[in-house]
Amino acid sequence: MVVPLAGVVVAVIKRLLTRTAKSKPAASASLQALTAAALLLPGLMPASAQAAASDEEVSFLYGYYEEGERDLFGVNSRFDPIAVNSLLGSSKVRLSDRLKAAFNYTQDSWSGATPIATAPLSFGGNKEGGVLSGATPYLQNNNVLFDKQLNPVKRDASGAYNQDTQLVHTLSSASPEIRKQGDFKLSYEWDEATLDAGGGISIENDYESRFGNIGGRWDFNQKLTSLNLGLSYTNSDTNALLDHDATPYIYDAGRGIDSYNATSSSGNVQKQNRNTLLSGNRQDWGTALGLTQVLNESALLEAGVGYTRSTGYMANPYKVVQTAFIDPAQTGELLNGVSIGLLEKRPDERNQWTENLRYVQYINGLDAALHFDYRFSHDDWGINAHTFEADWVQPLGQGWTVTPKVRYYSQDAADFYTPYLTSNQALSKTAVDENGRTIYVDAGDPNNGNVYYRDDNFNLVDSSGNPVDETTVNPIRKTIPFDRSKLPSDYSSDHRLSGFGALSGGVTFSKQFAKGVSFEASAEYYTHAGAMQLGGSGEGAYADYDFYTVNGVLKVDLSALSFSGGGHSAHAGHGGHSHHGGHAPAGVMFDHMMDKAGDLMFGARYMRSTQDGTMLQGSNKVSDQAIVRQGCNGDPCFTTPDSMNMNMIMLDLMYAPTDWLTLMLMPQFMDMDMSTRTLSGAPAPTFAQQSLINHHTLHEHTTSGIGDTGVYGMVKLFDKAGHRVHGTLGISAPTGDVDIKFRDTHRLDAGYQHYGMQLGSGTWDFKPSVTYSGKLDKYSWGAQLNGTVRLDHNNETGFAFGDIFQSTAWGSYNLLNWLSTSVRGVYTVQGSLRNQYNGTFHQLGPMDYPGSYGGRYWDVGFGINAFVPSGSLQGNNLSFEWLQPVSDDVNGYQLPRDGALSATWSYAF
Amino acid sequence: MKAIQHGLLLALCVCVSACSPVAPWQRGKLAKPQMALDAYPLQSTFKGHIYGSREAAAGGGAAGGGGCGCY
Repeated sequence: MVVPLAGVVVAVIKRLLTRTAKSKPAASASLQALTAAALLLPGLMPASAQAAASDEEVSFLYGYYEEGERDLFGVNSRFDPIAVNSLLGSSKVRLSDRLKAAFNYTQDSWSGATPIATAPLSFGGNKEGGVLSGATPYLQNNNVLFDKQLNPVKRDASGAYNQDTQLVHTLSSASPEIRKQGDFKLSYEWDEATLDAGGGISIENDYESRFGNIGGRWDFNQKLTSLNLGLSYTNSDTNALLDHDATPYIYDAGRGIDSYNATSSSGNVQKQNRNTLLSGNRQDWGTALGLTQVLNESALLEAGVGYTRSTGYMANPYKVVQTAFIDPAQTGELLNGVSIGLLEKRPDERNQWTENLRYVQYINGLDAALHFDYRFSHDDWGINAHTFEADWVQPLGQGWTVTPKVRYYSQDAADFYTPYLTSNQALSKTAVDENGRTIYVDAGDPNNGNVYYRDDNFNLVDSSGNPVDETTVNPIRKTIPFDRSKLPSDYSSDHRLSGFGALSGGVTFSKQFAKGVSFEASAEYYTHAGAMQLGGSGEGAYADYDFYTVNGVLKVDLSALSFSGGGHSAHAGHGGHSHHGGHAPAGVMFDHMMDKAGDLMFGARYMRSTQDGTMLQGSNKVSDQAIVRQGCNGDPCFTTPDSMNMNMIMLDLMYAPTDWLTLMLMPQFMDMDMSTRTLSGAPAPTFAQQSLINHHTLHEHTTSGIGDTGVYGMVKLFDKAGHRVHGTLGISAPTGDVDIKFRDTHRLDAGYQHYGMQLGSGTWDFKPSVTYSGKLDKYSWGAQLNGTVRLDHNNETGFAFGDIFQSTAWGSYNLLNWLSTSVRGVYTVQGSLRNQYNGTFHQLGPMDYPGSYGGRYWDVGFGINAFVPSGSLQGNNLSFEWLQPVSDDVNGYQLPRDGALSATWSYAF
Repeated sequence: MKAIQHGLLLALCVCVSACSPVAPWQRGKLAKPQMALDAYPLQSTFKGHIYGSREAAAGGGAAGGGGCGCY
């Protein structure tokens, strides 16, 4: 669903910007030509051996990735293939003549099914039937059959045994996961050299990595040659919870963990409460040396070499290797084996070398450029990889550029890659002493050192032959697990380490508008196949898959504006709309209009709200026992929310087609996380309920992706002597998902996530508001009434959130000509949720009941606002506001609110 | 495979030996946006992360985080 909607958004943005371009025809083209000419002057050109990159720029990318269905050979998977939503924000600013800074933020979220193992089809890894319809992973203690040559054997419908060597991936689904990364770079420039240093952090629930890098560039030979040198260091921790739905498939008995830890020096598995935690650390040191050479007036070349050394835990904690244990004592034509999933094991060290070449040729007559890249990568895991890529960048006139691209990649399999393993030993065997007697131990404490035997009359005796009272011990046969030393030292069936080739092709359209705004839209299709490996025999066709990606980029080149001067003089002409009536606090939306026809504003908003603490009923704190009894509509409650955080990133795109009307488009990106806990005093759950309760309470849940998209029109109603009133009419389109589910647990469909964790409302919402603002000297003030009315009774998954009414009033004081502070009050009323989910949904706590949504809230906000009145960053506005809850009166049973932070950046031109 | 590498190396030698001095006023074409080594840097970051989580080859160049890519 996301993709077509992203396409719609992209189309709307395009249209909006096209109108802009038409409305200001004069300014750009010639000025840009002059700008380009000015850049050619020696010294002004930042990197002579390549085209000028913008100095000051803000850009956003939204990208979507989706894989095609895997071939499961007759089994219908009910899992959707994996899909990833990505949001990237990037800003570059010049701090002084020679000092530049860049900041980047990246957010990826993904959910869906991926292969966790590979096995012969006869192993039945994707089980059909059972509690769930469709495939579920089934990897543990399967009895499997082989012939004498260790070919897998399958029993057909007639009862005959036939060799069947067909392999298949085993798929498992994941709950939504999210990754956030922030990084920065500082660069200092001399006339013929640049030194830069950067660093950042990437955070996931189960993986955190911190990195730093330094680099330098030296231009010589009249800037026809540049030398680049870089050094980087990354330190990453894996802390993966082996989900209770996955641990049965990963050999997980106590001895299994000991055995894994005995053989793996880089990763460690341990029990933590009722979770199984795999932890490890890895470090990467990388160096790269590059040379960029201008060959002639229409061609340039870059050649580079790189070396990366990685040490530590480099395995994938969620991939297992199916291993069949075949007892060598068997005779006969048919061998029985037992297969289990073992955590994969990779070497603790990896050394990678890369060589790359980039060639760019200007094509006379077409004004186009041909880019050709080749990279060779080689490592001591046995992986040689070649990447070829060719791009044709073709300007089409009027700021349009089309860039078709083709890419081919091929890699060899890692030395330790194997689709599955067979081991010539029993999974476990009964222990006997030197006389061949069966050894017994106490089931209650098998490792206490006491051993027992049976005498001729089957009576329990100790090692001295004395009778033992069987009521004091629970004798079981002592078993010895398989010998890990008989397995290969390293093994992985991760398809990324297999031999394969991949061909992809795509196209990018870009449009450069007036005022330094540009837009890119790109799509790419990628197909992975073992048969496409260079010169050879890659993995079988069972592992083939494909994916596509689409992305859109919006870029505002701030330095182009200062070069052209057009934007700024126009801006100075109307004095800057942003502080025209004072600036409203960061948490207020729809607070101002654009002043003049043709004006554009580009902005981003970030909001974070948190809920935490003792549960409320109305305005009063409530005990667990009361929630158990009353919170779930007559049924007993088992769990309750513990904390919830919501982050929202919104883009503000405003355009004024006339003086009295401003149009606004507001796409949103959301992410939320929630933890729940068990209620004390809850009754004993059933086995299925207990599985679900564990699933909910043992780890935090996250959801993330595109939220609802707002389209608004703002109309000027009154504007005289420091007083202004405008009305806003808007529609929020249901672009956010409302059908996000938990992953399965114990082969139970865990159903939909809690209502509040869905990314959108799922309904078309009408959003009217009216705003008054006034200003006198250093004081400004304002008030707003706004509402959200759901236009549907229920969304596609059955429910609708309650309507919202909000009123707010604020006052603000200018401390300096660029800095102001604000105070405001907010009153909000929201109705209860209507109807309920129409699919599988397990109600365990008050958050799963419609009556525990909405309420009446008072907040007080404190804000600061900074506006850049002049200089190269003129027109930028940055404001923050903290909203402190004063009173909560919730419907039903809910968590109290901790507060909300809003940060808003906008740029008007 | 070696043949490809040798071919590219040869091409590189030919290109470098073909270098001619380019005066500042002759660099107009080189300064065009389509001649940038990376014409779409933000897209390259996005796609690089995807290739990196689906392929085993090193991304090359300096470390830029990227996370586990375990999915």
